[in-house]
Amino acid sequence: MKHSDDLAHLAECAACRQRFTGNVVTFDAAARRNREEEFTTTAARLERERDRAPDVAVRYLRDTPVEEWPRLAEMPELRNNAALEQMSEEVRRRLHRKPREALAIANLTASIAESLHPSQYPSVVLAQLKANAWKDRASTLRYLARYDEAIEAAERGEEALASFASLEHDRAIVRLVKGMALAQLERFDEAHAILSECRRVFRDHSDTKRSVQAGRAEANTLYQANRHAESHNLLQELLQEAVAAGDVESQAGIHNNLGYCSAHLEDYVAANIHFSEAVAKFTDLGFTAEVPRTERGAGLILIARGHTTNGLARLRDALRAFRAAGMIEEAGLCALNIAEVLLERGDRKEARALTQNVVDEFTAAQINARAIKAVADLRDALDVDDATPETVHTVHAFVESLRHELHDAMN
Amino acid sequence: MAHESVNELPPLPPHRELDEEIFVRLYEKHFGLLVAVAIRKFQVPADDAEALAHEVFLSYLKRKDEIRDLQKWLLGAICNASRYYWRQHGRNTEQLDTELAAERPDPASTNILELMMAKIAAGEALAGLPPRWQHILRLRYFEGYSINEIADHLGVTAKYTQKLVTKCLRRAEEIFNASEKPRTKK
Repeated sequence: MKHSDDLAHLAECAACRQRFTGNVVTFDAAARRNREEEFTTTAARLERERDRAPDVAVRYLRDTPVEEWPRLAEMPELRNNAALEQMSEEVRRRLHRKPREALAIANLTASIAESLHPSQYPSVVLAQLKANAWKDRASTLRYLARYDEAIEAAERGEEALASFASLEHDRAIVRLVKGMALAQLERFDEAHAILSECRRVFRDHSDTKRSVQAGRAEANTLYQANRHAESHNLLQELLQEAVAAGDVESQAGIHNNLGYCSAHLEDYVAANIHFSEAVAKFTDLGFTAEVPRTERGAGLILIARGHTTNGLARLRDALRAFRAAGMIEEAGLCALNIAEVLLERGDRKEARALTQNVVDEFTAAQINARAIKAVADLRDALDVDDATPETVHTVHAFVESLRHELHDAMN
Repeated sequence: MAHESVNELPPLPPHRELDEEIFVRLYEKHFGLLVAVAIRKFQVPADDAEALAHEVFLSYLKRKDEIRDLQKWLLGAICNASRYYWRQHGRNTEQLDTELAAERPDPASTNILELMMAKIAAGEALAGLPPRWQHILRLRYFEGYSINEIADHLGVTAKYTQKLVTKCLRRAEEIFNASEKPRTKK
């Protein structure tokens, strides 16, 4: 082993750490004792709060009507780090299912974090609490497509951290959300710069999970900016990191992204391999919804790039998998994708049969009546030779919009 | 007030004493290394280095359950903290009092013409070097990297890096002297 002052080596070698540290001037013993005491007191306090009421936030949220949640900011039991951590977890849990509730909780945590007494924790810990609360609010707003507000919230988080040099990891966590929101506003250059910096900070902290997450967001930004080759190269690098970390879920997602990049780079053999790898990995993980979604995405991109036969085969696989998983709406939308391609190829008969199937399945599953009527009208138009691929596309868009409407209403 | 009641927590149960011991040992084990990294690798003044290392420890408490490799996390945190420290201190230098400045000449403007000529010549000397040599001198003298850090960056030993830097300097000096001669004659 080659001994040196290299940081990676210092992390591994106790002898070199001792030598490296030994040469440094002695500390002010009293100041050091005070600091050590502050550290242990804070550590004990945070642990004690975590132990004292492990589900206090969940109980309050469960027992209080949603419209009264802002009032909970006054509750003494919720005005501490442990309760804020629990609420942050609740935001994460509800983000996809009930984003509006997630936002209400994020607002509550921001309100508590901003009004904690300055003597309650050391200022660096208080800054972390505030930043995390604003980060949760930013994530939720981003999920609700309120991107400008999401960026504002992330910037509030950055402000809270600004005077602490030691909080680069926290800063990167907040900026990751900001970078992703900027990408969604198509401000690609700004997003790329931020995401790339976040990735570096996460790597420095050996935070592989977030490093891969930031890398994927960065690759996605490059892809959106039509920089497909750069996106592809970055994804290859990330794939190696995810494999080394044994992170199969990220591997599946990265293979899927690589499939899209390869298709744009006209390497269809590689695209098919990556899509198949993604499907295999999602299947292994038991992510039944992701398998047909990956197949459908693969089918659509291949068709868009002119590889219709191959793409159509993928769409048919997706349709079978959606039906097997009981995902009737997504199966119907996928069937309409296939019908559009078939109509372009002049296969009106099969397109009509597929449309009839969609009507039957939607009716049996009691899907929105307006969606059923739209597909039935399409079937009738096909009967009288009055439907074009564009008509199918319009009906697809309409059914999808109804689905989003319903989803929004439920949240 | 609401937050005051939370401040007055009951005393720790006995089993927590063990945890407290763990935190004390953790601090004692790593604190010196973090301070040494800030001082030796980043030239952060000793007092500020200790304050930075302490803050890194405090910030660890919020993230401790998600950190897989503590040693690496702490090292990453102190390196990034030191870089941020210099970014902050670079920006926050004391503002110039304009009235005072009007009364006193700026020391930097003394012999400015000669200095400017020398700077231009230095730029030309640097431009005359191969790109790899330019890169090495930039790292060493413009960005303030240590010999060891440049060695890590280049993937070579520190000894060889020191030789390289000397060689690059010597060559730059030759180019500089060559460009200075006609100027002096003029």
